[in-house]
Amino acid sequence: MTADNSTAPLLAARGLVKAHGRTEALRGVSVELAAGEILAVTGPSGSGKSTLLHCLAGIVRPDRGAITYGGERIDQLPEARLSELRRTEFGVVFQFGQLIPELTALDNVALPLLLAGRGRTEARASAGEWLERFGVRGQQELRPGELSGGQAQRVALARALVTGPEVVFADEPTGALDSLAGEQVMTALAHAARESGTSVLLITHDARIAAYADREVILRDGAEVAEGADAVEVSR
Amino acid sequence: MRNDLRLARLLVAGSDRREWWRITLTAIGALLATGFALAAVVLGALRGHHPLGIAHGLFDNPGERQGVVISLLLLLVPVFGFLGQCARIGAVHRDRRLAGLRLAGATPAQVRRIAAVEAGLTCLAGSAVATVFSVLLLVLNWSVPSGYAWAGIAVVALGVPVAGMLVSVLALRRVVASPLGWVRRVRPQTRPGPLFLVALVLFTGVAAVAYVSMADHRGRGAVLSGPLLVFAVLLVTGAAALWLVGATARLTGRLLAARTGRPAVLIAAERLRDDPWAAARTHAAVLLVTAVATAFAGIRQVLLEVLDSQKHLGASRAFYTTGIDLTAVAIGVALVITLSGLAVGTAESLATRRRGLAAQVAAGVPRAVLGRALLLETALPLAPAVLLAGLGGMAVGTGYAALTDDGGSRSVPWAALLVPLAVYAACLLAAATSLPLLRRSVRPGELRYA
Repeated sequence: MTADNSTAPLLAARGLVKAHGRTEALRGVSVELAAGEILAVTGPSGSGKSTLLHCLAGIVRPDRGAITYGGERIDQLPEARLSELRRTEFGVVFQFGQLIPELTALDNVALPLLLAGRGRTEARASAGEWLERFGVRGQQELRPGELSGGQAQRVALARALVTGPEVVFADEPTGALDSLAGEQVMTALAHAARESGTSVLLITHDARIAAYADREVILRDGAEVAEGADAVEVSR
Repeated sequence: MRNDLRLARLLVAGSDRREWWRITLTAIGALLATGFALAAVVLGALRGHHPLGIAHGLFDNPGERQGVVISLLLLLVPVFGFLGQCARIGAVHRDRRLAGLRLAGATPAQVRRIAAVEAGLTCLAGSAVATVFSVLLLVLNWSVPSGYAWAGIAVVALGVPVAGMLVSVLALRRVVASPLGWVRRVRPQTRPGPLFLVALVLFTGVAAVAYVSMADHRGRGAVLSGPLLVFAVLLVTGAAALWLVGATARLTGRLLAARTGRPAVLIAAERLRDDPWAAARTHAAVLLVTAVATAFAGIRQVLLEVLDSQKHLGASRAFYTTGIDLTAVAIGVALVITLSGLAVGTAESLATRRRGLAAQVAAGVPRAVLGRALLLETALPLAPAVLLAGLGGMAVGTGYAALTDDGGSRSVPWAALLVPLAVYAACLLAAATSLPLLRRSVRPGELRYA
């Protein structure tokens, strides 16, 4: 499925600039994400991929530029509102570390629902369904340390999707996995996203992972160097 | 050994800010330990009547001096607890560094030696400062210190750094540094170790001996067996409370984790269920201080009543009240050191988990929820344990009141019950001092590196 780009983008960034100390991580990057689209942002290490994701997800504020979500500027929202946005509208998956080590897989997935004020029984039931969809229901009482890398990432995906977010931000979600486990995780993510119409912003430097996306943007030294078909050409 | 020293020096010199916190706090702990121990050995070296002209003559006679020496030695308990906590600050960084050493070809024994030398050097710095200060004070106030005093000073000045090295080796016993560059911490036992159980049996034995001793000498010997019984009861109370912390932490965690719908409680409960003994180690000194402080509050009330009721005292009233006040100060100092250890432990716990916490915040978990979870991790296991320690101390105070009651007019020192409440509140405040660190610990920058 290819996203319909004729409508207004769900998430858009214009001229983003962000510096870490003296190093400019982003130098005027503009990017758009349509509803239901899977967009891969690729590029070498240090090209600003993760910083772009952090800005778009409202984790850090850009120094300059604007970010809109659903037509609303979000780069100037107060931290509490951004936190709520990430909890309700966005889902976030990192390479590792996003699961609380002391919580079981089931409780990790139920946590966003509990934070949203849902009852324990209801939250655990929904969490169980998502674990079932990702094929890790059998491991629901295990803690992250007892799961394999692939299982842990599928639990992380379930946690990111359990609230029914509009956008999932995935920062190198398969970076710590072998190729088979990586493919299983990506297949699960792409399938769930297409089924629920969720947009995905995928950060990766692996061309095989980027191939799951509808569109690809390449960053180099904090600037966008290619997009769409051009990106494929540059990749080659 | 020379290479170990050189490496330890290089590692200390190249440490980051967090490591310097650990080094500074460890040196302060060593300074306190050396200071208390030096004061104890110097006072202990005095023979016979020796007018010092301080504290209304409380230190002039051997009997009272002995009590002061014991109090100073007891103060070492919270100081060592504090040192143990300091050793854990930056443990993650240190563990990674140890893995790096293994990767570079160091053997496991070398790694332990380097870590021990590093801790020893840090303690030596604190010990040296305390020793120089104490010797200057001693020479200025005591024209010809005895040979015992000098020998004691030398033993303490060298003994504290050696103790620091041993503690470091002990702390590393569960750390396995692999030459492949990873470090793993072997999970502690989920129940008290054999050493703990042996100690508990020993304490109970002391209590039994004290009880039998008192029974045999009921009447004229009660004065001698009383303090022994008090000591034994305090030890048993402390040991039982320590064990209770772990047991109740696990039970509380299990019960709450299965029922709660509140995210903060869920996170705290699961952490307690996962490793209940981590809290027990941190809170051991808190419980001992609670028991001692509660008992003292009761005893103090009784002693003041006795003083008020006596028409003729062996010495001036100030002599007795100064002794009581000095004991209160010592307990207060112990409490402050213990609370400092608790605050350091909470901060260390945050520092260790900062990357995971940053990921939680990035995923939308409010900082307030994480802050509440952090406080609950202290509040939940401490509540029943502090209660028991307080009741144990209260029993001692009440028992002392009964022992000294000759006319049935002695009142029960109920006011002592406020002590555990105050300690509990102080513990929560100490844990809360880490909350400002939470904001800095969850920086998005933490997400950029493993």
